[in-house]
Amino acid sequence: MGGKVTCTLGEVKNRADFIVYWGGNPAECHPRHFTKYTLMQKSKFLPRGRKDRTVVLVDIRETKSAKAADHFLQVRPGKDFELLTILRALIKDQKVSEEQVAETGLSLEVLKDLIEKMKAAKFGVMFFGMGLSMTRGKHMNAAALLTLAAEMNAFTKFVAMPMRGHGNVTGADVIMRWQTGYPFGISLNRGYPRYNPGEFSTVDVLVRGDTDCAFIIGADPGATMPKPAIDHLAKVPTIVLDPHVTHTSRLSRVHITTAPAGIAAPGTGYRMDEVPMPLKPALQSPYPSDEEVVRRIRETIALRPDWMTNQPQMIEAQI
Amino acid sequence: MELKVIENATCTFCGCVCDDIELHADDVRIHQAKKACVLGKSWFLNHTAEKKYPDALIDGQPASLDEAIEVAANHLYEADMPLVYGMSNTTCEAQKECVAMADLLGALLDSHTSL
Repeated sequence: MGGKVTCTLGEVKNRADFIVYWGGNPAECHPRHFTKYTLMQKSKFLPRGRKDRTVVLVDIRETKSAKAADHFLQVRPGKDFELLTILRALIKDQKVSEEQVAETGLSLEVLKDLIEKMKAAKFGVMFFGMGLSMTRGKHMNAAALLTLAAEMNAFTKFVAMPMRGHGNVTGADVIMRWQTGYPFGISLNRGYPRYNPGEFSTVDVLVRGDTDCAFIIGADPGATMPKPAIDHLAKVPTIVLDPHVTHTSRLSRVHITTAPAGIAAPGTGYRMDEVPMPLKPALQSPYPSDEEVVRRIRETIALRPDWMTNQPQMIEAQI
Repeated sequence: MELKVIENATCTFCGCVCDDIELHADDVRIHQAKKACVLGKSWFLNHTAEKKYPDALIDGQPASLDEAIEVAANHLYEADMPLVYGMSNTTCEAQKECVAMADLLGALLDSHTSL
């Protein structure tokens, strides 16, 4: 997601007077997001706190987060991309027909009112969750929202930020971007990184049966992935590193117990706004850290003869 | 028993990564996680320093860490198209090691982001 128009949560806390949550339920999934960063905090620029902020929730159903919002827009499931594209047209005063708007489950009047409020804001922010990025349209939905945020800057300050789930998934993006240039869905099988979600993303790789050995760390695909993907994990040698014996461990060939990060293992974790945080472990684990185990596996592999360099797909072999 | 107090501890349950948690812990478990939300509390209180599981399992049988590392390295080295996946509930330092290992293996590399 390099190139997105974004900011830190500190800026949101101090400046954002217009907040949109799109396809997320922070009241239940990120319980302190409202109180720490978005709704309740008072600041120099927003001295009355909640009263100085307008909050909009866009979702397919009225979740608990709707209670915290000033406006709730119920979008028809699978119509996020259409709605975002209509908003992009409306901010530029392009013509949009009633029928096109009706398809999204909302009315032109509501959307025009929303646009007016967005343009009147001093600092707008759009948080988007998996309800946007993991439904029909997937990363194209996220791209549409990021584009809307970028285009809103013709009128006022506007930013966008993903509501990341699992603890350090942001860190995974950051580290992969730093080391390979791409955030996820990478293949290194030609000796250099290539990026293609849909081809190299794990669910697709597993469902097609395109891998013959899986190394799983800090994740439990055995509990979350579709059945054909899990079946393939059980078929190939799978190696799991986890503080617990998980669903994936049970179908794996090798499970290694490691110390839980942040509780018994030190290190760094990234917040959803890409601010790195030092972890302060409270306990001493009888198990080694993930870092140590992965390093030892890598060092063991490195002792064996290199088979990659002379392969026909390598750049060296092709020139 | 005297509890150790850790101030401004970091919670890595969700993407908020709150860094203002006050933990009260003894040698084995965390007893209190002040300022944490319900998700954070259960995250901190459900992990202990007990030795609940074997160091490693190979084909479902308890094994030593050294054996498991050897077998894991073998499987990965022998594979034509290994996959390195996950990396969410771990540290950046471990993630960096994962990327280095995937590079060495010529592997597929992916995180929860793609799910």
